[in-house]
Amino acid sequence: MKFKAKCLSLPLTLALLGAALAACRLQMPREPVKKQGFHMGTIISQEVYGESADKAADEVMKEIARLEAEMTVTKPGSEIERLNQMAGRGTVKLGPDSFYVLKTAVRYGEMSGGSFDVTVGPLVKTWGFFTGKARVPAPDEIRRLLSLVDYRDILLDEKKLLAGLAREGQAVDLGGIAKGYAGDVAVGIYKRHGIKSACLNIGGNVVALGSKPDGSPWRIGIQDPRGEKGSYVGVVKVVDKAVVTSGDYERFIEPEKGGKRYHHILDPATGYPADSGLISATIIADSSIEADALSTSVFILGLDKGMKLIESLNGVEAVLVTKDKKVYITGGLKESFTASGEKKGYEYIEKG
Amino acid sequence: MSILKKGDLLLAAAIALIALAVSWSFKVFGNGDTARIAVIKQKGRVIRRIDLDRVTGSETFELKGDYPQLIQVEKGRIRVAEAGCPDQVCVETGWLTKRGDAAVCVPNGTIIEIEGEKSEVDDATY
Repeated sequence: MKFKAKCLSLPLTLALLGAALAACRLQMPREPVKKQGFHMGTIISQEVYGESADKAADEVMKEIARLEAEMTVTKPGSEIERLNQMAGRGTVKLGPDSFYVLKTAVRYGEMSGGSFDVTVGPLVKTWGFFTGKARVPAPDEIRRLLSLVDYRDILLDEKKLLAGLAREGQAVDLGGIAKGYAGDVAVGIYKRHGIKSACLNIGGNVVALGSKPDGSPWRIGIQDPRGEKGSYVGVVKVVDKAVVTSGDYERFIEPEKGGKRYHHILDPATGYPADSGLISATIIADSSIEADALSTSVFILGLDKGMKLIESLNGVEAVLVTKDKKVYITGGLKESFTASGEKKGYEYIEKG
Repeated sequence: MSILKKGDLLLAAAIALIALAVSWSFKVFGNGDTARIAVIKQKGRVIRRIDLDRVTGSETFELKGDYPQLIQVEKGRIRVAEAGCPDQVCVETGWLTKRGDAAVCVPNGTIIEIEGEKSEVDDATY
């Protein structure tokens, strides 16, 4: 056998490299189907493996759009919009999805002692987040609207799928839980199509189905709340988990340029953006709706109460970042969490 | 301009540029902290796995097949040194050093890759 040595020009080398890459793509088994779309006021991206990946990804995207149409309060005609309009006047019939989400929201209201409260709707509206007309409301306006916030005023009739709000002026906003539910619905669709490996990202809510096709866990970066987009305080390895973060850095208003910032997660106790000492709360759980509701709850509750809530639940882990750059990690993440912010001044503390 | 000639300056500039490029590539493509395992597959079957960080010296071995390939391994890197195939794509790929790097020979049905993805994460929560 003889080997030929060759001397090639740079352009030819580059061309061959390109060909090598193309060949690599052909040879690698099971390239994922990747799809992106804009729904629920955010970007959705999917990476799906398997024979029906294309079909499943399309169906997931359609389903998320449908759920948005049912639950949004920013576009007219949704089921939740009708519920709000009928506040204090009667009940409305909901679809099974909206009903389930509302029922689950009430459960997390109880669990969090009212820190998670979807009846914060009137306040969200008056702050005007995401409307382009955001402003800081007057204190007495906040006080007046605060009296309308109480998840215990949500009336539910499970048999008839009827829901109502006890008092006029009350309004539900599912912004802290609907994306989470969409994640669970997506997992159901993937499974129905026989998909064993997929990663879905709904505006930062990550849902990892199974492991990666090579059997290794998905590596999910947790955004550094004070760093550039795409820089992480740590990376968590997950299989069949939802990973959801609530933070003060992602969506906020800044009434005066360079002035005080007001983030969008309102504390139902004060009517102002939550100021619990946490700047980011990441929850890792089996279900995405649970992770979504809990990340908001814990972000509002703060470190001590939040940790207590997490520790009272089975199979729920958390990464909590405080204002003074301490990162608290629950014990169950010992093996799967890798810190990556030491050089940026973060200090890591294991809890429980 | 008596001591330094134009050529010297050019050379110095070139060296500085290369140094910059190398340090930048380390930053961007840094090897991270996990091992680099080279996996050699032929027709879908794993032929051999090599922990590149534990290699000492230089080793070469032949991958048999329709178009035999000569594989060379050194500490932290692996390449197809020579190949009997007509296209030479795998040879031209050069040294593989980073996770996610791969050299493919379609005619011989082989893939040599360093395990792992190029980026540090698969997705991100925010």
